[in-house]
Amino acid sequence: MNLKKTLLTTLAAGALTAGIFGCGGEEEKSQATVKVGLLHSLTGPMAISEKAVRDAEVLAIEQINAAGGVLGKKIIFVEEDGASEPATFATKAEKLVDIEKVATVFGCWTSSSRKAVKPIFEEYKSLLWYPVQYEGMEASPNIVYTGAAPNQQIVPAIEYLIEKGYKKFFLLGSDYVFPRTANMIINAQAKAAGISVVGEEYADMDQTDFAAIISKIEVAKPDVIVNTLNGTGNVSFFKQMSEKNYTSKEYMTMSFSIAEEEVSTIGPSILKGHLVSWNYYQTTKTPENDVFVAAYKAKFGSNRVTSDPAEAAYDAVYLWAEAVKKAGSFAVDSVLSVIRSGSVEFTAPEGKVVIDGKNQHLSKPVRIGEVAEDGLIHEVFATPAPVSPDPYLTTYDWAVKAGLQPLN
Amino acid sequence: MRLLNLFLKHGSDTTFGIIVFILAIMPVLLAAGVLNGGSTILFLGKCISFAIVAIGIDLIWGYTGILSLGHGLYFGLGGYAMAMYLKLQATGGQITDFMHIGGLTELPLIWKPFLHAPGSLFLILIIPGLTAWLVGYFIFKNRVKGVYFSIISQALTWAACSIFIAMSPYTNGNVGITEIKSIFGSIKGSANQGNMFTLFYISLFALVLIYAISRFLVTRKFGKVLIAIRDGENRTYFSGYPVSRFKTFIYVVSAVFAGIAGAIFVNFNGCITPSQMTITYSIGMVIWVAIGGRGTIVGAVIGAFFINICEYNLSSGSTVEIWQYIIGILFCVTILFFKGGIVGLVQEKAPNFIAKIRDRKVKA
Repeated sequence: MNLKKTLLTTLAAGALTAGIFGCGGEEEKSQATVKVGLLHSLTGPMAISEKAVRDAEVLAIEQINAAGGVLGKKIIFVEEDGASEPATFATKAEKLVDIEKVATVFGCWTSSSRKAVKPIFEEYKSLLWYPVQYEGMEASPNIVYTGAAPNQQIVPAIEYLIEKGYKKFFLLGSDYVFPRTANMIINAQAKAAGISVVGEEYADMDQTDFAAIISKIEVAKPDVIVNTLNGTGNVSFFKQMSEKNYTSKEYMTMSFSIAEEEVSTIGPSILKGHLVSWNYYQTTKTPENDVFVAAYKAKFGSNRVTSDPAEAAYDAVYLWAEAVKKAGSFAVDSVLSVIRSGSVEFTAPEGKVVIDGKNQHLSKPVRIGEVAEDGLIHEVFATPAPVSPDPYLTTYDWAVKAGLQPLN
Repeated sequence: MRLLNLFLKHGSDTTFGIIVFILAIMPVLLAAGVLNGGSTILFLGKCISFAIVAIGIDLIWGYTGILSLGHGLYFGLGGYAMAMYLKLQATGGQITDFMHIGGLTELPLIWKPFLHAPGSLFLILIIPGLTAWLVGYFIFKNRVKGVYFSIISQALTWAACSIFIAMSPYTNGNVGITEIKSIFGSIKGSANQGNMFTLFYISLFALVLIYAISRFLVTRKFGKVLIAIRDGENRTYFSGYPVSRFKTFIYVVSAVFAGIAGAIFVNFNGCITPSQMTITYSIGMVIWVAIGGRGTIVGAVIGAFFINICEYNLSSGSTVEIWQYIIGILFCVTILFFKGGIVGLVQEKAPNFIAKIRDRKVKA
């Protein structure tokens, strides 16, 4: 008994010291390496999505290292867990830029985590690469946004629906900033086009019962549901729709947060025929994408799928490496000045992407896709040329008329 | 020898003194260049706020036996009150971007009291205190206790969290209030070190003050009554004590501490979101106290620092994906084998250990 207790005490003391002074951390300091930070949720509810993004970043880093690194230096990465919690993201972002002194950080997924770390990157004059499509209305000088701005995902999708003759929209979203802002934009766009919005509903982030919302949809009789639900909400909503035998024939949906990963969770048979809007699909036909998909599957397993956010994260690492090469330095201000010159580009799996020097978003092609029975998404429409980013929608008359501008 | 005696007689206070001393020299170490990066200080500042809320939980749980699983509510209320003031400082009293997106054209009435510092600081104390008094008054008067109280406390914080998410034009929903500086201006980077040190020492002073108040309360007769309520509530009633009034009072004190903690947290963190009000977050606070050792005050401080420093260090590098398992195992081991937490362990082992040293000295 006594021995057992002593043993446990020693164990506890060991854990205590390890915890306080930090164990692990592959400290491999040398002249020939450059340190970058990866800041994603690897635990908590967002881990399932962010893991794929982080994997794509690791893949890109390894590929760049295998090809000789950047400016003759190998990239090493420090990982921090944001634990799906904005406050933790803030603490960890600070740790990366201030203590680890990383050259740049790739990270975040949710808008709340991005908003929490944004002032930190601005105040420490550091650089964040944010790889997820988002609601726009933001252009921080210390963030490069490699996902779609609203005019590269939402606006073209609505234009596509209008062109296809859909006339009655029903807006359905999770209750947080992305769906609310997206629907504000869609409402303005629909109004300008003379399309009627027959309903607008928001579900709690973790809502699983959609019976009330489905009955509202039945009453409103829309011909398309514009869906900005996120995460688990999508699973419940589509399962409950299919329980009522509603398919894409009865109620077509256009979704902005359903990529390949989500299709496999919800089930391809349920989602068959529904529309989604992204910049990239696993099926996108470019030589770069064949290489990317093959490398991703080889590293992480053949059952894994690539998706738009993962691809955008992969691009982010390459774009940073490209900017560093052009700047000839890892210093944030010289990298940023190269980025602001608008000359940083990368032939990505989705096609050629260029960082816009003014708002630090990417110009990228837009693709409308249809979910197929095999769980993959097939392109049904693509913009002929890459679309320039316009996070504040200043080039759209209807948006300017509707006053969709943030303060300042 | 004298030092050992000090530990035996005033173990808690001495340990707390040592913690405060270590914290106090941290900025000095940073200025001297021993410490790498000012964000360590900012992180320790957040830990100070966690220690304050943990002290509050120890008062109601460790001493009085009221297990609140919803103290995130009061932490969040204090935090939001502070954040609203700081946000208005940042916008110069104008409406914020999220109000604009939410369709508001002028500052809502509930934001107006936060235009000025004195009113805001007052509200940081009053809002959590008043809420706790309302909750406590009805619950304790009706003699709701034990697990029923815990469930109600959870439900309350959940409800508050949902309201803060739903009222997005007023609270910015899930994103919360971001892009705010501390009450002394920016505290990030070496240029703003002065502000950071001021904020840090004021927070440390708040911790010392709250520790002193708590020790004062629990070492008087008042503290004995609290322990009596914990160990035999009915007997305390029969002895003629107004138990529900005692409980309400200590519950309000604990909520006010949580509110102060939330306000300090916001200053260091630069944002507040509804996730600080979630049940998970609230239970985390109770765990700090359990690990540190409940019913000791200093245990709450030790637990809050220990767990948060562990999480900070473990959730990166090679343990980035498994750190929650490590902390989880630590909890299980503590709860199963060391009911008194870290402080309990020391209290159990230290006397023997000290006696041994004494024996050796005597022999020599």
